[in-house]
Formats: sequence, C-alpha cells, structure tokens
Amino acid sequence: MYLADMDMPGMAHAKVLRSPFPHARIVSIDASAARALPGVVCVLTRDEVLADSTIDPYYGYVYRDVPIVAIDKVRHEGDIVAVVVAEDEETAEDALELIDVEYDELASVMDIDAAMAKGAIQVHEVFKPIAPELRPVEGTNICHHSTLAKGDIEQGFREADHIFEDSYSAPAVQHCALELHGCIASVGDDEITVWTNCQSPFPLRGELQRMFNKPARVIVPYVGGGFGSKSRDRLEAVVVAAAKLAGRPVRLLLTQEETFQTFIRPALTCTVRTGVKSDGTIVARHHRFAVDVGAYSISGARSANNTLKVATGPYRIPHVLVECDAVYTNKPPSAPYRGLPTTQHTMAYETQLDRIANELGLDPIELRMKNLLVEGDVHVTGDLLRSVHAKDCLEKVSSSLGPQLKGEAVASNGTIRGRGFSCSIKYTITPSEPTLATEAGVELQEDGLFEIRIGTVNMGQGVDTMAAAIGAEAVGVPIESVRILHSDTALVPQDHGTTASRATFHTGNAVLDAGTKLRAELLSTASDLLEEDEVRLELSAAGVAVAGSSGRSVSFVDIARHRGGSLLAKGECWVGGVYTDESGKEYPIASTFWTFGSVGAEVEVSRETGEIRVLRIAAAANVGKAVNPEQTKAQLEGGVTFDLGPSLFERLVWGDGGQLMTTTLMDYPLPTLHTMPEFHVDLLEFPYDQGPYGANGVGEMGGVMVPAAIINAVYDATGVLFHEVPLTPETVLAGLEATGA
Amino acid sequence: MTRFDYVRPSTVAEAVGLLEAHGDDALAIAGGTATVLLLQKRMLRPELVVDLGGLPGLTGVEQNGGGLRIGALTPIRAIERDAIVRGTHHLLAEAASQVAGVRVRNAATVGGSVCFGEPQTDLPPALLAMNATATIAGSQGSRDVPLEEFFLGPYETAREQGEVLTHLSVPTPVPGSGGCHVKFTMGSPENKPVANVSALVTVDASTRALADVRIVMGAVGGVPMLAHKANDTLKGERPSDALIAQAAVRASEEADPVEDLRGSVWYKRRIIKVLVERALRCAIERAN
Repeated sequence: MYLADMDMPGMAHAKVLRSPFPHARIVSIDASAARALPGVVCVLTRDEVLADSTIDPYYGYVYRDVPIVAIDKVRHEGDIVAVVVAEDEETAEDALELIDVEYDELASVMDIDAAMAKGAIQVHEVFKPIAPELRPVEGTNICHHSTLAKGDIEQGFREADHIFEDSYSAPAVQHCALELHGCIASVGDDEITVWTNCQSPFPLRGELQRMFNKPARVIVPYVGGGFGSKSRDRLEAVVVAAAKLAGRPVRLLLTQEETFQTFIRPALTCTVRTGVKSDGTIVARHHRFAVDVGAYSISGARSANNTLKVATGPYRIPHVLVECDAVYTNKPPSAPYRGLPTTQHTMAYETQLDRIANELGLDPIELRMKNLLVEGDVHVTGDLLRSVHAKDCLEKVSSSLGPQLKGEAVASNGTIRGRGFSCSIKYTITPSEPTLATEAGVELQEDGLFEIRIGTVNMGQGVDTMAAAIGAEAVGVPIESVRILHSDTALVPQDHGTTASRATFHTGNAVLDAGTKLRAELLSTASDLLEEDEVRLELSAAGVAVAGSSGRSVSFVDIARHRGGSLLAKGECWVGGVYTDESGKEYPIASTFWTFGSVGAEVEVSRETGEIRVLRIAAAANVGKAVNPEQTKAQLEGGVTFDLGPSLFERLVWGDGGQLMTTTLMDYPLPTLHTMPEFHVDLLEFPYDQGPYGANGVGEMGGVMVPAAIINAVYDATGVLFHEVPLTPETVLAGLEATGA
Repeated sequence: MTRFDYVRPSTVAEAVGLLEAHGDDALAIAGGTATVLLLQKRMLRPELVVDLGGLPGLTGVEQNGGGLRIGALTPIRAIERDAIVRGTHHLLAEAASQVAGVRVRNAATVGGSVCFGEPQTDLPPALLAMNATATIAGSQGSRDVPLEEFFLGPYETAREQGEVLTHLSVPTPVPGSGGCHVKFTMGSPENKPVANVSALVTVDASTRALADVRIVMGAVGGVPMLAHKANDTLKGERPSDALIAQAAVRASEEADPVEDLRGSVWYKRRIIKVLVERALRCAIERAN
C-alpha cells in the first residue's frame, strides 16, 4: 500500500498556499474568508505557528533555516505560505483562493553567479548552522565554504609540463520519482504519528520530537521511488502542525508541479585546473565548485561538503586542492540526488581528461590506466583504500563494447558514431549522524519463522530481499523462513536513512551481526535440549538436528517455546573512527567504503538535428559481493537510466520573474523506452573485508559516470567537447556549428 | 478542479442548445485528454461541462463520395488503425500514429484534437495538407469550414461557443499522390513536437513533375501553416535534391516559430528545414 491509498478515520485533507514570487516580504495574511468557507476545518499561517509556544517553527538538521510556513518572507516561488485543512481536497483548494496575502516583492537571486555577486541581496540575513562542520560566510549568500588539500598545489603546478583549465556547469533537475511526496499526520495528547514516504524515518522522528516537544512515531509504507528527493523532509512538520491545529488526522499529497517546487537537484558550476607531465601523469589538480542549495539548506551544504572527498576522482594525484561553496538562491531547496554532485564532478574531471589525452596524443583509456588508484593507495582524504579494482572496471567496459568502429565508417544518413569512457569513485556518509550505529533485529518467533527488523526504507531497490538473504544465510535457514519488518520507528531499530548507497553495507552488516548472534543462541539452546555438543548440530528449515542418521532434532517452535516464546538477537554496524598512517598521523575515516566503477558509452550524433542516440552503455563496478546479482545489475542499469535524462534533456527552467516554467512532465522530458540503450553490465566481486559477505555499496554508482561518458563519446564522434549538460539537440547542433565540426 | 455541473446530452441539437445557452460558462469536452488537465489546474473554470461523448452517429470512418467522412468523436487510435484510412489516407493514419502515447490516442478524439486548436500536435497539419473540411452544427444548422480557415490562432478556432464539430470530410488524394508526416521531439517521440511537417504531393505520371504539393508546418506558428513559398517552388517542377533543399530553406524562412522550452527560433527553423526535406523525399517516393 502506498501513502495515497491510505485513509485514517476522521482524516481531513490539506492544500498548500504557495508563494507566487521568488523573494518577497510578507506584509499581511488575511485568511478569515477561507476559514469561513463551509467545509474548512482550519487554516495554518505564521500566526497560528507563532502563537503555539510548544512549537519551534524552524527545522533542519544541518541548517535550522526552514520555517514550517513562511514567517518573515518567502524565499522561492512555491514557498509554503499557508495550509488549508478541509473536509475534502476541492474545498481546501477553493479556500486557498480566499486567502489574501500582501507581499512586498524583493530582488531575487536565481543562480550561483547572481547570489555570489558583490552586494547581492541576502536570501537569509541570519545564518542558523547546526552541524559543526559548517562554515558560513557572514554577509553573503555562501552558507558553507570549505576546502580539502593534500600536498602543495603550487608545487604541483610547477612540476607540471602542461596545465589545463576548464569550467563546467549543470542545471537544476528533479528526481521525478513515480510516487509524489505526501504525508499523513495525527497528533494525539501523548504522541505524534506520521505516515510518510520519506527515506530517513529516524532522523525525521528526532526532528519532529524536538520541534513539537512530544514523542513521535514515523511509519514509512512502501515508497514509490526516492532517489534522494525524499531523504530530507519538507512536508512532515507542516502536516503535523496542521493536524495539531485541526485536532484530527490530516493528509497532504503534492501534485507534480508542487513536487518540482519542493526538492530539486541543485545546479552546480565548477572549474578544474589540472597539471600533467608530458607522459600523462597527473601531478596537480585544483577543483573549485559552487552548489546552488536553493532557498533552504536542509541538507545542501552538507551534501556539497561531502563531495569534497571525491571531487578529484579515482586518481592518484600528489597535489590537490578542492574548494567548495554552497550558495543560497531563490530556487526551491535542494535535496540529495542519487550520486549527489559526484556526477557533476565526474563529468568535469573525466571530460577534461579526454581533452588532455587528445591534446597530448595519448589514448584516453591508457591515460586513465596510468593514473587510477590501486589497492593500498592513500586517498586524498587520508583513507587507506582497499578493494579498489578501478582498472579492472575500466578494462571490463572497454572489452564489453568490443572493437571500436570509428566515426564516419559507420555513418549513414548524416549520423556519426563515437565512444567515450569515464571512471568514478563514490563515498558513503561517514559517520552516519545523528545516529552513529545502524541496528537490526533478528527474532525467532513462536511460529518457528524468523522476523528481520530493519530501519531501512523499501523504495523498490530490493532492500527486503537483501536483508532476507543475509539474515537467512547468517542464521543458517532457507530464505523462505524469514519475514521482514521495516521502517516503523515504533517497531524496528534505528538507522540513519536509506541514502548514499548505505543499505546493503550498513543494514546488511547489522542483520549479519544479529543473525550470527541468533544462530549461536539457537545452537546453544538446542545443545541443551538435545544434550549434544554444538559442533555436531546442523540447522535446517525445520529446526536444529544432530548430524548423522540418529534423527534426533528439535524444531524452532520448540526452541522458541523453551525460551519463553521468542528469541531476539540485536545486531549493529558501527562506522566512523580514525585511520592512523605510518607516521602516526590520524585521519578521521572519510568514508566507510569507497566504490569504484566505470562506464562506456557508444553514441550516434545527427549532424542534421544535433540529436544524440545512446546506442550502447557498458557499466562495471566493484560491488564486493553481489548479494542478489540480478538486483545488483538492475541497480546499475537503473542508475544509468536515471542519469540519461539529465545528460540528454532534463532541466528545470525558471522564467525572468523567477517562476518555474517546467511545471509538468509535458515540459520536462524524462527517459522512456525510446531512450534506452543496449546494456552491458558487469559486476566485479572483489570482496571488501568490512562488508557483509564482502559486499560494498553500489546504489548510486551506475549513474554518476553517465554524463561524462556521453560527453566523451560525442567528443570522439564530432571533435567537439561540451562543458555542460544536458546535451539537448539544440545545444549539440549549436556546438557543432560554432566549431565548424 | 473547481465545482461544475455536468451534462451528457444525447443529441447534437441538445448539445448545441446547452452550449449556446451557457456561452462562455460552458465547456465542451470529448476525450478530455487536454481539457481535464486544464480543469485540474483550475485554468478552465466552467460552470457547466457538456460531455459530447454520448452523441450518436459521430464515431467512425465512412467512405463518402470522393473521400472519407470522419466522425468528430472517432478516437485518434481508430484513425491510426482503420484499414480504409491506412489505404487511401495514409498520411492521416501516419500523423495519428504520432500523437502523444497510445493511452492518449485511445481516449483523445479527432474532433477534440482539431477544436482544441493546440499548435503542437500532429493531426491538424495532416488534415490541412489533405485539404479537409470541418462540418460544424449550430442552432441555425450546419456549416462547412475548410481547415485553411478553421484555425485562427493558438487555441482559437472558427468553431463558435454554441457550435459542435460533427465531422471532417477528407478528399481522397488523386492517383499518383503520396503523403508523409514527420515530427521531431526532444526525448521520447511521445513528447510534444519541436516541429512537425505533413506533406502531400502528386507526381505527374508522364512528366514526373510535381503536379501538386501541399507542405504544412506545425508547432512553428500559432496555427498549422501551409508553406506557400515552398509549395510554389516545387509545383510543376521535377524534384531534385537541389530543388528539395531550396524548398526546405524557403519553408524554414516562412515558418514563424517562437522561442519556448522546446527550442529557439533559430533551432526550430533548422528543424523545419530538415523535416521538410525528410517529408518531401518520403512523400515523393510514396507517390512513385
């Protein structure tokens, strides 16, 4: 059952009044006519929120900068001004039109350059950082500035024979999960209950409890795709406040247009300066980037900061400087987007690498082979790298695509073909704040079956199958003997969230730990009951038996009965800590695991229209161990598919007045069957000793290399190297004409 | 959606009466694939929705004199699949097959597609290329309007508020004719076109010259546009690569696109040039 199918006794329906302006001061709000409309239960505005002394009106884990409803001003078109609760959605919509809001329009900053310009109007006059690592620049729109350095960047450039500098940009896009955002909230005297399609129920619970000063329970049903858009909440506190005011359960379901106004992938610009020796050895890289976090930095600043770790790619570079600015603008708030800005960083450094190869007369694959990280290398963060095999991934995709059929040789009707490659490195969130450990429970129940309890959210990616497989394997019973209970904070142990390729590693490890402990308990109990040494006992679907032909056994039902009806084991996965290098210097571990992979793309470019057809994609990643090979392959294919859209045509467009133009899927094209290439997916299984059965996180790996590989393939075909996405037909044709290609 | 009354009349006269009586407060819907979206967004706020879906005798294709009579309520999918249309009016079937996705084509009607007056769709250019005539019923009886005079501007047609389009008459092309409809989209072919072109040509069997040419361009103006200069360039001439290229350039100059999310003026003209060339080559080949 999905959220929109759920109904609660006495449930009322909410609709949101949204700002028509990207930036304005609210002079007055008069909702009296709306309140008087028959069928309206209540209207929530800043007045009701501020009048309730038990509520903190601001939320956010990283920056506490998001008001439940706009208080002093609105900061993006679509910002939440008021919420109407009514007996039905239509009445609520009618009432929205009766709310009279007087705005005092302000100048707006709609992109990174405008927001960073000297004297630009500030989206937030006061910064409210929560996370200790945040470094806002007072008096500007920069809510976080940070750097990561290794070696001596100036020395590195002095050692270089050639220096290349390029600038890149990628626009805002949206995740376009099939299920739109929604939430149901019920506020009782003693507890708040929220049903929501969010990816991070436990951090959400903590934030709701803090804001409303009341215990909260968060229940997440099956989620129809998230891709990061649901990893941070925007609606839940709004609906809780509305339900509290209404005194009954309230449901809010967003439309597609509202979803575009709720969370987006931020626009990004970057400049990459790379120093190389004549033989192609990379000696220095200076990577500067700015991320447009939008009107509220719900997680944007931290997301930007996290990608410092991978901005220079999967390469051995002795001298590195990475600089990051996270910038407030008057766009909708940004959310993590499968792969985060790793995708845009990869697009930058990988396409520049093809330019370097071309200008130095080197083969692009050989140039990468010369510089890729290997087992035992120390990453730019100081982390000692294990289970790397990046070169194996690149070799795999290169051989998957087979011999190159060069350019014009295969051309017909004005099309030209080319091939491009890219490599990348992806981190996971470490440590997983605010909850450092991920927990799981495995319980033998009175019916002889095993319940696995996980905090992970099932959004179609296969976590239940993963947890069932690992739990069954750890206990030693068939997968049919387990059932899964997930993502209800009242019933399952806590987890940081279903993001950042975390689930298989973190939840998988916690389930493995719990299952291993339970197996030991089962064997110990059976040993007592059967009066046999544990080493002579074997587990099966039915129970525990003595090895050999004696036929003596005890069923799981009897073991459970003997232990009082059930037997629970708890498991944990702790991450974080420090890595100490040979000289004794300590580095906080920047990522519990690192994933390496490669993508190869073969494209056909029309000289007539500029249209790109992606004919074939080869993808390979070192997954450590594929817990479910078909699902793991599907994760890579899904990731590739996900990023075909932003590579080729997806982009959100705002008009001169700061109003979103791409409000429906008629104006915002998505990949369809027509866009699908032929896939060649290879899973490399070099075990990672920290992962459950050697498994590594891989959920984001397929997509992050796609824009780079496509740009490089177009470069190979046409000789024109693009520095932006999407490569719309018009962009490509204009590029071909500008260079006479 | 705002609240409205709903009525499903059972005769054309009843529908006409309701639409006339309620004027701008009434909205006529057929398949609803466009109008319901606008209702949901409250961009249309009728007091009365007149559902034409129950009107008898307005569904289906029949041969009628020198052409086809297509009922206004015929689903676009039926045009795409109809054996008669695919035979004598192939251009129309081809254009129908390119409208949105199959789910839309199953619900959307030919009459709705024409009366909505949207510039970015595929059937109107093909109907115009085939010289179709619309028959519109009003309180004073029926009138025939050639499609060349039917489209007045974006979302604006010659159908008055108190009228109902009942059918379209589409002449059968003379022997030696060939037609072709091509469109260019960004992303899926189900998306709205950046531009589209319908071409109907007649090749003289003895001289191999183009006896008649009707190129219509869509999505590059407020209404589907006959490319008069391109048509004149070709008429009476034997087609050659150079002549086709010249006609395509003329057509792209005649087009009157506006910049939007689907492309700049420059790009749309470039696409028109490509599409005119493609449609002409294909139509001439089919004529032969």
